[in-house]
Amino acid sequence: MTANQLLQYTTWAVYVLIFISTTVKAVRRPLRANIDIALFFLLPTLIILQVALVGLGIEPNSPPILAVTIALFPLLVYMLLRLVDDFSTVPSWLLRLSETLLVVIVAGIFTTLQPPASSTSNSSNLPSWLQTFLIIYVLAMLGYCIVAFVREARSTKGVTSRRMGAAAVGTIFLALNIFVPQIGAAIPESQGVFAIISALLGLASSIAYFVGFSPPGVLRSAWQEPELRAFLSRATSLPRLATTEALITEFERGAAESIGTPQASIGIWDEAEQALRFNVDGAVSYVAADDDSLTGKSYLYQKAFFTENLKRDSPLAARQHSPNVTLIAAPISTESRKIGVLTAYATHVPIFAEEDLSLITLLADQAAVIIESRALNEESMRVRTREEITRLKEDFLSAAAHDLKTPLTSLVGRAQLMERRAERNPGAPADIESIRTISREAMRLKTLVLELLDAARADEGKLLGDLEETDLVAIAEEVCSRHTTDRHPCAVEAAAPVVGSFDVIRIRQVFENLFENAVKYSPEGGVVHVKLWTSGDKAYFSIRDHGIGIPNTDFSSIFERFHRGTNIDDRRFAGMGLGLYICREIVKQHHGKISVRSHRGEGTTFTVELPLRQPESEAQNLLAEKVQGTQSPSNANTPVQPQPDTQLPNLAVGQVLFAAPDESST
Amino acid sequence: MSLASPPAILVVEDDTVILNTVSEILELEGYNVERASNGEEGLRAVERALPRLVLLDMRMPILDGWGFVRALKERGIKLPIIVMTAAQDARRWAQEIDAQGYLAKPFELLDLLAAVEDIQSPP
Repeated sequence: MTANQLLQYTTWAVYVLIFISTTVKAVRRPLRANIDIALFFLLPTLIILQVALVGLGIEPNSPPILAVTIALFPLLVYMLLRLVDDFSTVPSWLLRLSETLLVVIVAGIFTTLQPPASSTSNSSNLPSWLQTFLIIYVLAMLGYCIVAFVREARSTKGVTSRRMGAAAVGTIFLALNIFVPQIGAAIPESQGVFAIISALLGLASSIAYFVGFSPPGVLRSAWQEPELRAFLSRATSLPRLATTEALITEFERGAAESIGTPQASIGIWDEAEQALRFNVDGAVSYVAADDDSLTGKSYLYQKAFFTENLKRDSPLAARQHSPNVTLIAAPISTESRKIGVLTAYATHVPIFAEEDLSLITLLADQAAVIIESRALNEESMRVRTREEITRLKEDFLSAAAHDLKTPLTSLVGRAQLMERRAERNPGAPADIESIRTISREAMRLKTLVLELLDAARADEGKLLGDLEETDLVAIAEEVCSRHTTDRHPCAVEAAAPVVGSFDVIRIRQVFENLFENAVKYSPEGGVVHVKLWTSGDKAYFSIRDHGIGIPNTDFSSIFERFHRGTNIDDRRFAGMGLGLYICREIVKQHHGKISVRSHRGEGTTFTVELPLRQPESEAQNLLAEKVQGTQSPSNANTPVQPQPDTQLPNLAVGQVLFAAPDESST
Repeated sequence: MSLASPPAILVVEDDTVILNTVSEILELEGYNVERASNGEEGLRAVERALPRLVLLDMRMPILDGWGFVRALKERGIKLPIIVMTAAQDARRWAQEIDAQGYLAKPFELLDLLAAVEDIQSPP
């Protein structure tokens, strides 16, 4: 056996095997695409048959056989066009046109074919117009198919893209396979070489077509693997996405790529609606879990389904998902919970294969794990938040207790010391140092207690009392003159009075608080600048010191409850860390804003913006509350000035403090 | 009365007002008192002269109560200690550092004197 023969027999064997394999598939599943594929591979098999018949002694150039042989070429390219239509869409006019031309050509071949004049060539047997026509037809069809497959390969993803790529390669080989012998015919001396090249091209083409149109399961899985692998490695990070919706969208995308379809969608079981909730590009739809749809059935029976005929198996879904004709669906469930369904649709039947059932089941299981883990994450976040609140409450409680007990210890001890001294030595002069200490410690305690009570009121949104026409400049000057010392001079700067409607007591409190803060962090002799102005219907004031500044990292938290300076031992000043929180609440309840600007070593500026007039309805509400003495829903909750509140849910400081267990019993 | 002044009671407390108040109460009762406003100062006082008793605040800057006790241990010094704290864990902290007693702030004058006398008089 020569190498040439070996090649030929191998090629034949491959053709026959592919033909048998595709025919078996077509018989099992007599879908148009499967039948087309089988018919497509029938044609080269017929050529083999013809050659074999020649081997048995039948005259190869007898007109009927020759006619069939020639007619196989336009038939082959027509079948190819049908396959393009099976995988994507060919305009119907083009299909009709190619069919018409095919009939014309085949009829022409059978009517005009003459017995050959010589045995070396059969090309001259056709009239030249038909020959030209045939060549143009085959060329044009092949060209169209190559372009169509390449386009399809580029527009699809994953396994489908690879299959279309293989089909395009197969078509290119086929084109070469048809035209190389024509060249060979022109160079008779090297016909043997061309025969080998032609056989190889035919073999390559048929293998490419086989893997493209009807890939064996192993190859299909291998082709799905890169996308699947990439997706699965990405999937572990999905539960960290901001929302469950985002997670589902991301999963749908990854699943679609892995299966090789344009779109996959996940329906999540909605308890309230008692249906599967799908959200496709923002459009929400519900699918009942019943026998009416494959999706519903998949959820109902907890089983994966595959249909190549959506119209027959699920008319409703076929209408809803037109032009999709094929569906694959798998339930998303954990052992304890039925979460939903993962579905993938495709517009062309051969995109999916039965083997995809195991893939979609795998993906659905993965989805179950991820969605469940997301739910667990959310639950653990809730638990953490609750724990964080508890911890903050405990921290606050212990800090508050400490801060209150320290001056109390001094007060009790000092008072009892004075008492004992007076008993021992009734004639002694007044112990002025002790009296001063008691007075100072009592003030310290008073500040702390008031701060706590204010914070409790702030939590309820009930800090403000009567609003009255006030000049902020006058308040600033009063606070300034009361607190100014040689160590910390104070300078008020204002071009004109700043008159508006405010709660005077609370606004004074803001001034005092910010002023004390400024003094606290200022070096000896550092001037505290207070500036007031109006702009439009807003009043502004800023308090600037020349102190050490606030680290940037503290900016976001200084207005929050419980924030204390990092130096916790600075007990003389530390207070409860509620001062700035109360300031912010007072400003907020005036519908104003407070902000801070600071640079390391350049001091800190707090700026407050207040509307000169409170909204009409607000003022009336306040008045109404006063008149009726009722506690109508707090106006502070009206989102007129939405400000980011603390990250944590509202903690009523009052509750924390007053619901505290008695801890002095030790 | 011996010639040398009797060993003092060392008060270690960072809040000046409490430090002075506690010291003055003890002095009024005739005790010799050494004052220290943190653990570091307390250690220096101990190195100068061993006190017979330490009244110790726990949360202090520079060197806190736990640090002070650890430093004593490293030096092999064993002293009776009474913990003074505003924290809820007063009793547990006292046990942890093996103290003889504790005073939960705000304590009263008589509590203070009773605690000191308890340690002074042999059982």
